[in-house]
Amino acid sequence: MHISLKREIKESGPGKTGLIILLLMVGVAVLAPVIAPYDPYQQSTASLLPPSWHHWLGTNQVGQDIWSRLVYGARTSLLVGFGVGILSTLLGTVFGVSAALVGGLYEKVVMRIVDAFIVIPMIIIVILISAYISPGIATLILLLSLLGWQGGARVIRAQALSLKERGHVTAAKSFGANQFYIAWRHIVPDLGPILLVDFIYGVRRAVFMEAGLAFLGISDPTVVSWGMMMRDALSFSYLNVWQWWLVPTGVALSLTIIGLTFVGHAAEPVLEPRLRGVEIA
Amino acid sequence: MLKLLEIKDLKVSYGGDVILNGIDLKLESGETLAIVGESGTGKTTLGLSIMRLVEGTVQGTIRFNGENLLSLTDNEMQSIRWSQIAMAFQNANNVLNPVYTVLNQIMEPMVEHRLKSKEEARDKAMELLRHFGLRENRFSAYPHQLSGGEQQRVLLAMALANDPRLLILDEPLSSLDAASRAEVVNLLKETDNHRTKLVATHDLDTAGKLADRMVVLYGGKIIESGLTRDMLSQSRHPYTRALIRAYPNMTTVKDLQGIKGRMTRPVSGCPFHPRCTQAIDICSKEIPELLPTSHGREVACHRGGIITLLSTRNLSKSFGLLKAVDSVNLHVEGGETLALVGQSGSGKTTLAKTIMGLHQPTGGAVYLEDVRVGNRGKDFFRKVQMIFQNPGESLSHRLSVLEAVMEPLEIHGMGTSEERENKAIRVLGEVELPQTEDFLRKYPHHLSGGEMQRVVIARALVLDPALLIADEPTAFLDASVQAKILKLLLNLQEQRGLSILYITHDIAAARKVSDRISVMLDGRIIEEGPSNEIVAVPKQDYTKSLLNAIRI
Repeated sequence: MHISLKREIKESGPGKTGLIILLLMVGVAVLAPVIAPYDPYQQSTASLLPPSWHHWLGTNQVGQDIWSRLVYGARTSLLVGFGVGILSTLLGTVFGVSAALVGGLYEKVVMRIVDAFIVIPMIIIVILISAYISPGIATLILLLSLLGWQGGARVIRAQALSLKERGHVTAAKSFGANQFYIAWRHIVPDLGPILLVDFIYGVRRAVFMEAGLAFLGISDPTVVSWGMMMRDALSFSYLNVWQWWLVPTGVALSLTIIGLTFVGHAAEPVLEPRLRGVEIA
Repeated sequence: MLKLLEIKDLKVSYGGDVILNGIDLKLESGETLAIVGESGTGKTTLGLSIMRLVEGTVQGTIRFNGENLLSLTDNEMQSIRWSQIAMAFQNANNVLNPVYTVLNQIMEPMVEHRLKSKEEARDKAMELLRHFGLRENRFSAYPHQLSGGEQQRVLLAMALANDPRLLILDEPLSSLDAASRAEVVNLLKETDNHRTKLVATHDLDTAGKLADRMVVLYGGKIIESGLTRDMLSQSRHPYTRALIRAYPNMTTVKDLQGIKGRMTRPVSGCPFHPRCTQAIDICSKEIPELLPTSHGREVACHRGGIITLLSTRNLSKSFGLLKAVDSVNLHVEGGETLALVGQSGSGKTTLAKTIMGLHQPTGGAVYLEDVRVGNRGKDFFRKVQMIFQNPGESLSHRLSVLEAVMEPLEIHGMGTSEERENKAIRVLGEVELPQTEDFLRKYPHHLSGGEMQRVVIARALVLDPALLIADEPTAFLDASVQAKILKLLLNLQEQRGLSILYITHDIAAARKVSDRISVMLDGRIIEEGPSNEIVAVPKQDYTKSLLNAIRI
């Protein structure tokens, strides 16, 4: 009866791989000051150096150590990713659960807003807004969360609608519990797995968007970012720097997104047990 | 009409113990009055006071034929006792003189009062003994040679020897077997119907057969009086109802229930309040007066007798065109079980949920203690609680036994967490579940169906509700567990005075636990009445078909 997220991920090969990659990335991001040999912002005259013992991945056009920037880039990427994941899941939970419990006009309004946002291509809006304000990390997290909670809210509302008909919820009502209590003690705990999946997708989307915006050069240029590094590397494509500048950055970004995708995919049966096929019995 | 006996404000005490505390009684000539109550309520003392055989301090007036017995001299009283007022005692062994034969014992009062000559007295005594069915070869026996039943017959004959105007019978039939009892009751009723009788008894059956009127005595006070027939079929005082429930007879279908606690005295306020299931503040402070209600009935209760706890008036609930509940009127009295019987889909659960406020009614209203229930606040849920069909569903799989039972207390923010825990553990004990640390930490899927339902019951009881709505509480349980759960509900009713609205499709289970049955069909109540009547003489075809279905 219980669907365990942990078990779902552990039992799938890609799930395990994804989890290892993610843990590795998080480790790198957290330990960045230890791992990186140089300050990623520190400039030197030794620009565009090839890899050496001093600079494992050489230096960029203003003489910054590429390896150190790659390591700090993981920080930015995951910070934005997890920030958006948490905030958008939170928003999705608040609106999804409240729509399900309150019902009536409130539910209609919330769900129509959700529908509207799902229809509009989010990337266009993000690019437009970013082009004007060149968002820093905090603003970017806020922006991506505000534009990204709607899909989750929809799934959460559907699940909450089913959960609120459960016997123990009816029982809690018959003790005189208010809606907050019911949401907090009876609905949200049972949403757990769904929230996790929603969170993982939120993270993946945000990592991708952050890189994309930086690549387009419309996010805060002072923040170290994989997207920006790839953009810089590409402008020196006539040199052979792409080997140690473009490729490692692209691989790091791809690995992160692949890791998130694997974990998310492994956890998906939580949302839709039918995906598990016959082994369910 | 002449009052043969008129007792006013009679108070009797032994030492410091007040046995009778202000009794007012009137007895018309030719009338039979039953004094009913548990052992120790003062029935015998009342009889002895009239006979002036009581050893304590007696205050008030007892007028017999206009004369105050309490102001007579001993000699004057002597002439009235046994000749005008006679008493048949409860305990034959103490009354009969062991060295006299039966015949001599009965002759004694006649000869002593010089009403008859010795020969006449002998004839009269023999006639009386024959009348009460004592075999002639026992006439010259000594009391210890007689069986208890025979002794009692002798006592009755003795009491009637001088043809008294007032006969006091103290537990007159308690040591007779059922067949002899019926025989003696008939004798007393048919051949002695004109005589004024005061029957002190705990035996409701005797009271019902012998007496026209009945008073119920508790803690030295009269708490209810009225016509015997009315009182036995519909008691208004919680004590009277409890007595009737405890008494086995052939028409009761509900299981027997005792009365919680023991009689204690002295008690301030209403004597019954420590055991009463609907006591409020005033009950422990002031003594309620005996006030007339209706049809010559008098009740001494601050709450005017048994209260109507919950009622619905024209309550309706429709889902679109479907009238799930259609103008339902029902009421649940304090401390009673009302069974709502009907097949699945008849609207029983919808009705229960509408009462609980889980559905909004489309018409009519719910009244709690005669106050219309609007928005249900926490005070409503403290009085009314519900247990659901499927115990597994209604317990959250995330909460342990202890957490589940504490949940209502948390919602109501009652007490500190330690107090909540203690309360929850105590209630678990009440529903006969283990209170071990190990059990408290268990989760619903570790429990059996019966255990889960007990946890659900404990959870509903933790707020000390007055009414429990039990919606098919045993639907998911096997017969033996069902029996245990139903017994548990009855015990809780006895202990807590819980009113229960028991919802079931099983009329056989309903008759074992309910005082009254309401039969529901297609959203309407089609028949309602005392359980024994519904089961014995159903009026509606549908009820008959329900009954026939289980008889096969």
